[in-house]
Amino acid sequence: MDEKMTQRSVWEKIAAKLSKRSLWMLHYCTGCGAIELPPTMTARFDMERFGINPMVTPRQADILLITGYLSVKTLKRVVLTYEQMQAPKYVVGFGSCTINGGMYWNSYATMKSLDRYIPVETYIAGCMPRPEAIIYSFNELIAKIDRGEANSWKDYYNNYDFYRENQEHTFEGPIETYNDIKADAALFRI
Amino acid sequence: MEYEKENSIVEMMQMQFPEAAFKVKKERRIEVRLPSARLYDFAVRMQKKWNFLHLSAISCVDWIDDGEFELVYHFWNYDEKVLVMAKIRIPREEEGDSHFETISNLWQPAKFFERDIHEMFGVYFDGSEDMERFILTDWNGPPPMRKDFITREFALNFYHYRDYEPQWLKDMMAAGEGNE
Repeated sequence: MDEKMTQRSVWEKIAAKLSKRSLWMLHYCTGCGAIELPPTMTARFDMERFGINPMVTPRQADILLITGYLSVKTLKRVVLTYEQMQAPKYVVGFGSCTINGGMYWNSYATMKSLDRYIPVETYIAGCMPRPEAIIYSFNELIAKIDRGEANSWKDYYNNYDFYRENQEHTFEGPIETYNDIKADAALFRI
Repeated sequence: MEYEKENSIVEMMQMQFPEAAFKVKKERRIEVRLPSARLYDFAVRMQKKWNFLHLSAISCVDWIDDGEFELVYHFWNYDEKVLVMAKIRIPREEEGDSHFETISNLWQPAKFFERDIHEMFGVYFDGSEDMERFILTDWNGPPPMRKDFITREFALNFYHYRDYEPQWLKDMMAAGEGNE
C-alpha cells in the first residue's frame, strides 16, 4: 500500500471510528452457506452486538456478504448489486466456493475466484464456516476499518479495466450496468 | 393375470399404432418406441382420446456412438394411474442444432422442457413460440450436457484458478503422497 492511501485526516479517522460500529449487511444467499446466517443474526451468536444488522437494499448497505458459489447467471446480479452500493463498501467472500471454486472446482458454470470480478475485503475459509468464523471475520473487518485499511472498494475504481475485462470474458459480451464507474471515480477523486 | 390393466392399454394403443414397439416394464410403467415422424400423432391421441392429461417431463439422452439423440416423453394418466414413456430417436448433428417438432401447442409446460433441452443438448424444436435460453442465459460454449463436452477441460481453460502451492503440499508431493 502506498503512502498516500495510508495518510488520513482527523475527520476520516473520526468517521472510521463511528462507522465501524454501524455496518449494514446485504447478504446474497444463493449458496448453501446461507443457513449459517440465521444463528449468526439471532440470539445465539447475536451479530447485532457488533453493530452489524441485515439490510434489504443494496443502496443502504455497507457489507455485501456472498455466501457460497456463484454461477455465471448470478454473478451478473452480484456485479449489478455491487455497483449500486454506495462507497465505502466491503465485500466478504464466504466459504471456499468464493475462494477457489470449492467443491465445484471443475464445474462449467461456476466462478472460481470472486476477486477477479469485484474486489473482496475479507474471505472466510471453510465449507461451510461456522457462525464463530463469521463473527471473527466481521471483527477483523471492523479492525481494518478502524485502521483505515479497508480500501478494497477503491480498487474497483482504480483498476476498473481489469474487473471489466474479466466480467466481459465470462458474460456473452458487455453487460449493461447502471453506474458510470469512470465518472464515479472522478467524483471520489481517486 | 399379471399387469392386466397395462396390457389392455397396450392392446388399445397397438391397434392405432401398429408400427410402434410396446413393452410393459413393470406395474404402471409402459415403454413405447416410435418412429420420430409418428410422435406428434401419438401425443395428440394421448391427450385428446386416451386421457393422458399430464406431460411429466421431456428428457434427452445423448447416444454418441449411435450418432443419435433419444427424446423421452413421459405421459401420465390420472384415472388409470399409468405412466407411458414414448421414446424416439433423432439424428445427432455434430455442428449446430438437431431439429425436431414441438408439442408445446398441446401442453404449455413443454415449452420449458424444450428450452432446457435446447440449451443443454442443442436440439431445436421447430414451431415453438419461445426458444429463448432458459437457465444458461450467459452461456457461450457448446451445449454442456452432450457427451463430447468435457467439463473439466472446459473449466480449466475458461476460468482462472488461484495459484496455491504451500510448503506442506510440496513436501507431501515430494514424499509421494497425494493423487496428482
